[in-house]
Amino acid sequence: MEPIDVIAGKLRELDLPAEEIDALAPVALLFSRGQPPEPTTADTRQLVAYLSSVMPARSPVRQAIRAHQQRQGAGVRGLLATARTQVSLFGLDFWLVSALVTLVGAVVVLSNVGDGLSGQEVLLRASGPFLAYLGTVIAFRGMQRRVLECELVCLPSPLQLALARLVIVLGYDVALGLALSLALWAGGAEQVLALTLSWLMPLFLVTGLALLLSLRLSVQVAASLAYAGWLAVVALSATSSLQALSLTPLAEALLGGIGLALLAIALLRLQTNMHRLLPRF
Amino acid sequence: MQAQSDEQLMAMLAAGETAALEILVQRYHRMLLGYLYRFVGGDRSLAEDLVQETFLRVLRQQHHTMPESFKAWLYAIATNLARDHLRSADCRHMAAVPEEDWLALRDPSPDPETLVLAAEQERLLVAALGQISAEYRAALLLRYFNGLSLHEIAEALHIPLGTVKSRLSTGLRHLRPIITQKQVGVATHGTD
Repeated sequence: MEPIDVIAGKLRELDLPAEEIDALAPVALLFSRGQPPEPTTADTRQLVAYLSSVMPARSPVRQAIRAHQQRQGAGVRGLLATARTQVSLFGLDFWLVSALVTLVGAVVVLSNVGDGLSGQEVLLRASGPFLAYLGTVIAFRGMQRRVLECELVCLPSPLQLALARLVIVLGYDVALGLALSLALWAGGAEQVLALTLSWLMPLFLVTGLALLLSLRLSVQVAASLAYAGWLAVVALSATSSLQALSLTPLAEALLGGIGLALLAIALLRLQTNMHRLLPRF
Repeated sequence: MQAQSDEQLMAMLAAGETAALEILVQRYHRMLLGYLYRFVGGDRSLAEDLVQETFLRVLRQQHHTMPESFKAWLYAIATNLARDHLRSADCRHMAAVPEEDWLALRDPSPDPETLVLAAEQERLLVAALGQISAEYRAALLLRYFNGLSLHEIAEALHIPLGTVKSRLSTGLRHLRPIITQKQVGVATHGTD
């Protein structure tokens, strides 16, 4: 039975006047005074036995996979192990095309070293997000390949799979970005940091936007919309009459931050929104 | 395993640990039965069925819903089941409790006077609760019988915190004259 002062404390939480607390306390007290029936130990044991008998059984295969996962751990090691299983999703064309785009970007920028920064920046701003487009379309094409249902029911959750794939895509793109910076620095380009930002930050923005849009639209459409939208911004900022829209390195860093924030939102909503992509009957 | 939180036990249950189920049932069986018994108007067998169904739902939904608070989630399931049952066409009236059920109420002290008094208070409360709406009844039981916090009640009943407070205060205000009237009735009946 609860003491009257405990009950009065609970009633005070309701912002009631003191006289009403005094009047209502005996009523609230009745809840702990009466004695509803209690289950016996045998009742509880019987209930547990019944529930255990209807508990969904796990196949030996699933149990073995789960045990293997538990041995791997749930942290970075587990994520990298999952990422390793996802590498085969990305065919040779993804690795080569991404490297080629970066290489072409570096060559074009280095061959126009004397032509000023803005032209080089425009080229990098357009080519960097192309890798994001490519990565998103290839990494998240479960529906297109008619395997989305399988992805949704496999042991790693959709979130774990998305994270693992993003580790591959962004890891590779960032590595290419670093290689690009090195190439530009070695080639004598001016303002290597600004050029690298022009390449990497829009890449984050387009990846984040594409992934967020992919929660409502097909991945192909989402990635195309995100990339096309970004190209439109680049085209506008390159037009002589709209030079005011030119992006400073700080603004680009901000765009990259927004991209990462969009990415985080998309990942947080992924678990509850994936079902929208399933085919409707 | 006894020291694990409800949420940790749920995660273990999802991984197929039957022992986690046993601990969760042991933790909540008594309070859940009491809650449902009072909610449905003192029908013990119905309350037991609803308890079983509540745990079955927990087992079925564990992979789809990861609750923030297991306790709030459990009572949300129980409340929905009880409410659905009361709304169903074949249940227009609250069950009348057989006299022997009242007398069979368990009490830790064997003192017959205390037993009779507790049974009388229980009968009075259940009868009074049956006369207020299910929304007030759920909030009042969860707060003053099951000991949930205001936040947990808000989560269990899917209502804002302010609504929880107003349901509790209004529920008590509705309950007070009913209980007073019944107490007077009992006293008059006793003196006759």
